[in-house]
Amino acid sequence: ETTLKASHQWPGGKGDVRDEMVQILAREVANANVDLKIQVYPGKSLFKPREQWGAMVKGVLDIAAFPLDYASGRHPEFSATLMPGLVRNHDRASRLNTSPFMDDIKKVINDAGVVVLADAWLAGAFASKKQCITSPESMKGQVTRAAGPAFEQMLVGAGASIASMPSSEIYTGLQTGVLDAANTSSGSFVSYRIYEQATCLTKPGANALWFMYEPILMSKRSWDELNEDQQKALLAAGKVAEEYFLGEAKGLDDKLVEAYSNAGVEVVEMSGDDYDQWLAIAKETSYKNFAEKVDGGQELIDKALAVE
Amino acid sequence: MSPLFTGLLILFALLALLGIGTPIAFALGFVSIAALLIVDGAGSLSILGETFFGGLASFGLVSIPMFILMGSAVASSPAGKDLYEALDRWLNRVPGGLVLSNIGACSIFAALSGSSPATCAAIGKMGIPEMTKRGYPNEIASGSIAAGGTLGILIPPSITMIVYGIATETSIGRLFLAGLLPGFMLTALFMAWTIYDCRRRGIGLSALTERFTMKERFAALPRVLPFLAIIVGILYVLYGGVATPSEAAGVGALFCIILVVVIYRMWSVTKVTGMFRDTLKESVMIMMIIGASELFSYTLSSMFITQSIAEWIAALDVNRWVLMAIINCFLLFAGFFLPPVAVILMTAPILLPIILQAGFDPYWFAVVLTINMEIGLITPPVGLNLYVINGIAPNITLAEILRGSIPYVLCMVVGIILLCLVPGIATWLPELMMGKAL
Amino acid sequence: MTAYIRWVSALSRLAAVAALFLLASAIVVVTQMVVMRYFLNASTVWQTEYVIYALVAMTFLASPFVLMEKGHVNVDLLYLQLHGVARQVVQSLAGLIGLLFCALLAWSGWTYFEEAWSYGWTTDTVWALPLWIPLLPLPLGVGLMTLQYIAEIAKIWRGEPA
Ligand code: NA
Ligand code: NA
Repeated sequence: ETTLKASHQWPGGKGDVRDEMVQILAREVANANVDLKIQVYPGKSLFKPREQWGAMVKGVLDIAAFPLDYASGRHPEFSATLMPGLVRNHDRASRLNTSPFMDDIKKVINDAGVVVLADAWLAGAFASKKQCITSPESMKGQVTRAAGPAFEQMLVGAGASIASMPSSEIYTGLQTGVLDAANTSSGSFVSYRIYEQATCLTKPGANALWFMYEPILMSKRSWDELNEDQQKALLAAGKVAEEYFLGEAKGLDDKLVEAYSNAGVEVVEMSGDDYDQWLAIAKETSYKNFAEKVDGGQELIDKALAVE
Repeated sequence: MSPLFTGLLILFALLALLGIGTPIAFALGFVSIAALLIVDGAGSLSILGETFFGGLASFGLVSIPMFILMGSAVASSPAGKDLYEALDRWLNRVPGGLVLSNIGACSIFAALSGSSPATCAAIGKMGIPEMTKRGYPNEIASGSIAAGGTLGILIPPSITMIVYGIATETSIGRLFLAGLLPGFMLTALFMAWTIYDCRRRGIGLSALTERFTMKERFAALPRVLPFLAIIVGILYVLYGGVATPSEAAGVGALFCIILVVVIYRMWSVTKVTGMFRDTLKESVMIMMIIGASELFSYTLSSMFITQSIAEWIAALDVNRWVLMAIINCFLLFAGFFLPPVAVILMTAPILLPIILQAGFDPYWFAVVLTINMEIGLITPPVGLNLYVINGIAPNITLAEILRGSIPYVLCMVVGIILLCLVPGIATWLPELMMGKAL
Repeated sequence: MTAYIRWVSALSRLAAVAALFLLASAIVVVTQMVVMRYFLNASTVWQTEYVIYALVAMTFLASPFVLMEKGHVNVDLLYLQLHGVARQVVQSLAGLIGLLFCALLAWSGWTYFEEAWSYGWTTDTVWALPLWIPLLPLPLGVGLMTLQYIAEIAKIWRGEPA
């Protein structure tokens, strides 16, 4: 029997959707009776989140649920998967998965020695204890923790001041007043109970600026060592995990809104007009930067924006 | 081979390497590599560098050298002497007054330094010779400083709390607050024992002949005030929304350096290099242990040993206080052999889920863990404070230091019991200032 | 051997001086960052990363010096009971373990550095610092520590104080 190691950074067995995806993968593969077992290591109990990529490339780690942008230092193209305003909502995210944009990204992934087992796009939000964040104007002067460099560039363009810290310190940052606002995934906003400190939440809704690609990946080396039946079983299991995710994706944002309204936090949403203003800033900051830094960067962004 | 059995083999290999005197960091690293090579083959070597580097490259850890530097900057100046002398003018009529002053000075100094050895050195360098000169037995003089120095990691700022916070994703600011009242409690316990012991043995009463007027007492304060100002300043920076703990540490270090340079005129190159040199030695030693612990934890987790131990403890299904007693014995045992940082990095991932499952508060547990680590600092074979005392008072034997420390170790055990009876000693202040914990 | 020990020790001291300046610079940068954000409400882009990597570099570069100064804490109670050749053998054995570990870590660190250099990897932040810069102190410092270890083992047999 072959045992594969699967790692991720979220709490295990607590209902986190990414943990659940990996667990489903493990269950499905076990049920397929192909002499294959997946041992799950949740909550960074094996690798630090950012070290998972290198470990997969070298074949030391077999499977990971991995926020792709974490490897953008090695493959700058990956920044496009945490780029403000490229996704907008969950329906568009699933259309994006089969677009030429994602074909390009997946080619980079494969060339690096990693294969994709299941796609997932997670939405994120903004929260503030100073002023609701809707238009770029509302961001001015707020000390903000942003998730991802492309977001930092755009927020600075809107007049925010950036303080960098891990998402686990956002709560204390807001509480002590080091931070006025924060931007991270919907899941982290709930699990770190930021609602106890924030006064206003900008929910993802129809015009979400923040989306991040967090697929389940597998080391090409480990993949090549499997026999055909095992590979088929893994692909089938990946499909099941992906379908589960699609069913849950919107529910995640509902959970976020519920947690914050129950805590008495004001919940707002960006209007189409706000969103366009942000896009205009992103074009001048993050997109421009990306196009300059990455070969074919402008093309990638155009391909993503071209998706219906 | 079952994971628990593999774990035992690794433990024995580690103890053997430690026994022949391999530095702790390299013993941890070597055992990890050897185990990985045997189980996973040569491929596992490829991630060695990235794992070690990744274990160190964290903004939270930045505060460690900074908080050590704060301490060694002040320790390199005569400020420690000023501190206990100022206290002595107020306490000299109490039995064991000079010892009390030294313990009090350790406690105040602990608020300036994140490290225990630095606290020991700062006060003990002048304090121990002064105590022996005034007729206190070697064991009381050295034992009180060894124990007083351990307050360095309980009273904020604290390196062990920082490492615990990073390992368990708990708030470092909140951990600091949790340690404050227990720190005062231990100080009080140490002092109470000292008064009792000195009165019982009739020592330290000779100082009674020396009397200070109120005027003299107040005259000694101005030299101490700048340091109290820095303590208050750091608390303000930490809890007033100016900066994160790492940033506060950097600013605090800069202020401490400026202060000793200005007040004690320590601007010669030798003196400035001196304070940096002590900092380099202690922080590099700690950081290398952190990097190696990262490898060790990876090895244990990848072989499913960590998870199996956790499952095994969880399956014991005992009363939560019995569980807490077992955990304490285990921590004490680990503390005999390993320095605090290594123990925390290796055990926190195993213990925290169990602690939470049993309904204990993670911040309260951090304090209990820290007091266990304090005991480890003054017990052989690896007790960092013992080395420091040995360095600053070479004429006092290890046996004397140990004899002198034992009563204070018992004080710490009493402290742990009090914390179990009244958990609020640790949790009340953070809840008052920061609301309920997550 | 005397010349070797002298040269390696000099290199270790030199690396420690570099580490000292890195530590001092980190303190200045942290303070500058707090002032920028708190008083000037400006963004801080490179400071956090600089401080992290400066202190990691400090660790690796000063480590050979700390080894030379016997600062890497160990359990010495057991082998202190031994005398003469027995103690020298046990000490050398411990030294050999440390030497092997340092050599492997230096080698693995070198390959990591070499990859980062040849593929042009950067850190994944706005600053996008070329990754080989913060990685270089790892093979450099730990490599020097390996050389220092050879000197330390040689010292054991030359009867110098342990
Ligand atoms: Na302290
Ligand atoms: Na000990």
